[in-house]
Parts: sequence; C-alpha cells; structure tokens
Amino acid sequence: MEFLAEGLRRAWALLLGGDAEVYGIALLTLKVAVVATIVSCVLGLPLGYFLATRRFWGRRAALTVVNTALAFPTVVVGLLLYGMLSRRGPLGGIGWLYTWQAIVVGDVLLALPIAAALSAAAIQGVDPRIRRTAETLGAGRWLTAWTVTREARFALAAVITAAFGQVVAEIGTAMIVGGNIRGSTRTLTTAVALYTSQGDFGMALALGLILVVLALLVNIALQVLQGRGGG
Amino acid sequence: MVELRYVRHRYDRGARVVLDFEQFALPKNGVVALVGHNGSGKSTLLRLLALLETPTEGFVLWNGNRVPPRELRALRRRVTLVEQRPVLFRGTVRENLEYGLRVRDISHSAANGIIGDVVERLGLGPLLHRRRHELSDGELQRVAVARALALRTDVLLLDEPASSADRAAAGALYRALAAERAERPFAACIASHQLEDAYRWADDIRALAEGRLSPVTPENLFRVELPPGEGVKQVRIGSVDFAVMTDRVGPVVLAIPPTDIFVSREPLASSARNVLRGRVIGFSIELRGAGVQVRAEVGGVELIATITAEAARDLALGPGTPVVFSFKASAVRVF
Repeated sequence: MEFLAEGLRRAWALLLGGDAEVYGIALLTLKVAVVATIVSCVLGLPLGYFLATRRFWGRRAALTVVNTALAFPTVVVGLLLYGMLSRRGPLGGIGWLYTWQAIVVGDVLLALPIAAALSAAAIQGVDPRIRRTAETLGAGRWLTAWTVTREARFALAAVITAAFGQVVAEIGTAMIVGGNIRGSTRTLTTAVALYTSQGDFGMALALGLILVVLALLVNIALQVLQGRGGG
Repeated sequence: MVELRYVRHRYDRGARVVLDFEQFALPKNGVVALVGHNGSGKSTLLRLLALLETPTEGFVLWNGNRVPPRELRALRRRVTLVEQRPVLFRGTVRENLEYGLRVRDISHSAANGIIGDVVERLGLGPLLHRRRHELSDGELQRVAVARALALRTDVLLLDEPASSADRAAAGALYRALAAERAERPFAACIASHQLEDAYRWADDIRALAEGRLSPVTPENLFRVELPPGEGVKQVRIGSVDFAVMTDRVGPVVLAIPPTDIFVSREPLASSARNVLRGRVIGFSIELRGAGVQVRAEVGGVELIATITAEAARDLALGPGTPVVFSFKASAVRVF
C-alpha cells in the first residue's frame, strides 16, 4: 500500500511542479486525440447518416462491416498499419512511421467505425417525420440532412465523446506505429506502460491522472454544449 | 395544376397495390376534399401529389405537361404537405415558421410580413416564442398549417389538418384557408374523415377506398335551399318532404348518414319524423359480409341505408320489396 501513497505523492509533485516532460506528453496526447477525433467524426458522421437514411444494395452488409470494425483489436490495426507505413510497405514513401501522424491514422481507423456505427444509430433514432417535414417544406438534400442532424445532436455529442474516449485511451497502435519515442511520439498511454515497466510508479500514476482529467474535461465541455438550447 | 395518371403504386416492391386509379387532378384554384377510412390510401396519395414519391407505375402532370422524374425535385418547392401528425423542428414556433421561407431565400423583412399574416390568421401570437414541448396537439397542428401556408405554394396538401383541433379551432383553420384563397389562387387537397369539413370547405369531394377512387361521393347528400325559421323545417326533395331540425337558412348540403336509417317492412311507431315508403332497388355487401347497404327508391329519390346482414335476412329483402325508411329530423346533418 505504501508504494501507492508514494506514487500519488510523486504524481502530485510532478503535476504541480510543471514537469516539462509530463506536459509535453500530455500536449502531444491531446493533439493526437483532437485531430484523430475530428478526422474520424468528419468522415464517420456523414457515413453514419448515409447508412441510416439511404436504401441501397449491400446496406446491411455495410452496417455489419462497420459494426464488426467496432470490436477490431487495436494491436491488429497497429500491425496492419505498420505493414503499410514501413519502408517496404505501399505507403512507406510518405515516411510517417514513428511519427505522431501515424498514431493519428491508427486512431482514426479505430474511431471511424465508432463514429459511423453510433451516428447511424443516432440518426435512425430521429423521428422519421422530421426528414419528411423538411422535404415537404422544400429543403434540399443538405438542409434536410442538417435538420435531421440537429435533432440528433445530443446523441451525436455522445458519439463524439465515445470517439474521443477511444483515441485518448488507445495504446496498441500508438505503441506499434508511434514507437513510444521520447519527445516525439510518446503519448500518455504508451508512457504509462513504459514507466510502469521501469518501476517508476509515481510518474506512471501522474500521467494516468492527467489522462483521466483530460477525458473528464472533454466530457464536461460536451455536456455544457449539450445543455445549451432546449427542445 | 397537378395531376396523377394511370397510377398503380406499391410500397417497397411489394405485391400489394396501395393505390390504383386512372386519374386524379387538382384544379388550379380549387379545394378537393379526399374522404376515406384509415388505410384507404389517402396519405399515400397526398405524398404522390407532394412529389415526395414517384408512383411505381403511372406519371405526374404539372399544368398539363408530363413531368420527367428528374424534374420532380425542382417542382417540389411549389407544393407543400402537412402530415396527419405533424412535427415541429427543434426551436421556437417562430423559427419553425421561418424554416421554409429561409429555404426559399426570402428576405428577413418579407418573411416578417408573411409570418405576421399567418400568425394573425391562425391566432398564433401567444405561441410564437414557445417550443414544441410547450404546445398542445391542436396548437402544434395549427402551427404546422401556418408553416405551410406561409410558403404560399401553388399546391397545398393537408392530411387531416383539424384532427386534433376543437370545432372552434378547426373553423378558424378553414377560415384562414378561405381567406388565403380569396387573396391568391392555389390548389388545395384536404384529406379528412370529418365529412362536415369536406362538405363545407371543398369544391369537390373524392372518396378513396382500398386505394381506388370512387366516382360516388358519400351517400344521401342533397343540395337544398332552407327556408327561414327555426326548429324543424320541411324540405322538399323529389316528391318527398324531409323533416330537418336546423336553424340554418339558405343553400346548404343535407346528409343523412346511412347508419341512422331504420329499415322495416311496415311503418314503425317511433319518434322518427321521417317515415318514407319505397321499394328496394339494390344491395351491396360491405364490412366483409357483416353489413349490407340497401338502396331504395323513395318518392323519386334514391336513399341508402346500412343494416346488418342478419337484419337483411330477417326482413327478407329483395329487389322490388316494399320497404320503409325511417330517421329522425335531428339525424339529418346540415353543412
């Protein structure tokens, strides 16, 4: 038990002391998570809307693929992406292996199915009369989509939260394609794993606390946004 | 204005035909009432007229010209439909009224003027800043009609627009429509199960049953001129005097609901003020064999009564059988 208390004391000291390495890791994690969340939602939300509202051949198969991808192991995604980005891989030329961009790509691959599947469910939950009413009032495709999306905004905010939660806590792909390089691709999760294995429990705990606080702050921000404007 | 021809419509490539008729037209400046039971296809027909769906078979004419499917979308802004159970979007009543106007790029000041008009006509002033969860069903329906009226489309389609309104609110709604018609020509189609609304406000009535348009409007309708006075009035139709209880005066439509007519072989001692002798001229089976419509010729007038199949058997009715139709003066509805 004593090492836990010692760990907490050290974590507190690191956080209050403004340790440059700790804050560097936290900032990189935040950057990767925000970019990956934005990209996955920009792609996933329209995809979810499309899957929810359009009837096309193979729609059920597409939904099955997206739902299956929800449970895709992160290390497998990391491994496949490593194969693509490595020097001998088809995308080796862009030189992204062991960069923060590679971690973003891995995170997007993991968060995209979440954004698409959950937003499809959110849109399907909107009263179908909303879409029909927008059409009867003369709205075109884009305005109809926007009107329906506005109705589902609480559920869609939860989708964004879930996507952010996935990318900020992800370790498998970050470790494989990021390489956990100090000052370059070390994120909170990979750093926690490293410092724990090195026996630096205080540092690991400090980083873990920051991770929790980050997740909490983003959730609070989204809840505040949800709370604005009534029915 | 808008016309459907040779329509056979199915849903989701299903085998069941939900609409099947040769022609349905809305005149440029006329109100057509569409009557029929639930599930008769009224709402589907309105969706086809609203250009929201294309008929599985058949085509759409706009001002007499056939509209290719790819051009339907462009014409859609000239039609609007208020669904039977309308919904409002998130936001205030005012924002809802503005929605379609913004779609049409109408300037803010012009939109304010239009909204002011419809708000006044439908008495929505106190509701303008309310949100959908703060409205009753009747108020919500009125807002939805106002939202449609504000668009000043060439075609206005209303699916049971007064189903949640009380009589006074329904009257206000139809008066608003009449006022709009007095200002500008437009085609309107109102699906309603309230026959009274149909008779009073429509220029033409079409009946829909199981997806087919019936050339016959609902039974026992007579256009008459009511004399001045109050209470029970005698009105001559054909060679028969009908007793009618009403305070109305002048041109009206009388409707005798077929289910309110007693059928007997001999006159009954009863409170009915209308006891008419005639002869059976035909039958039709309805309600899957449980009911029978008896058509009789009474003093040069054809009347229809609905009775149970069992009653028809007990009375041993057949073509040419002498029969007595009885109904109360208060059963005659005046529109």
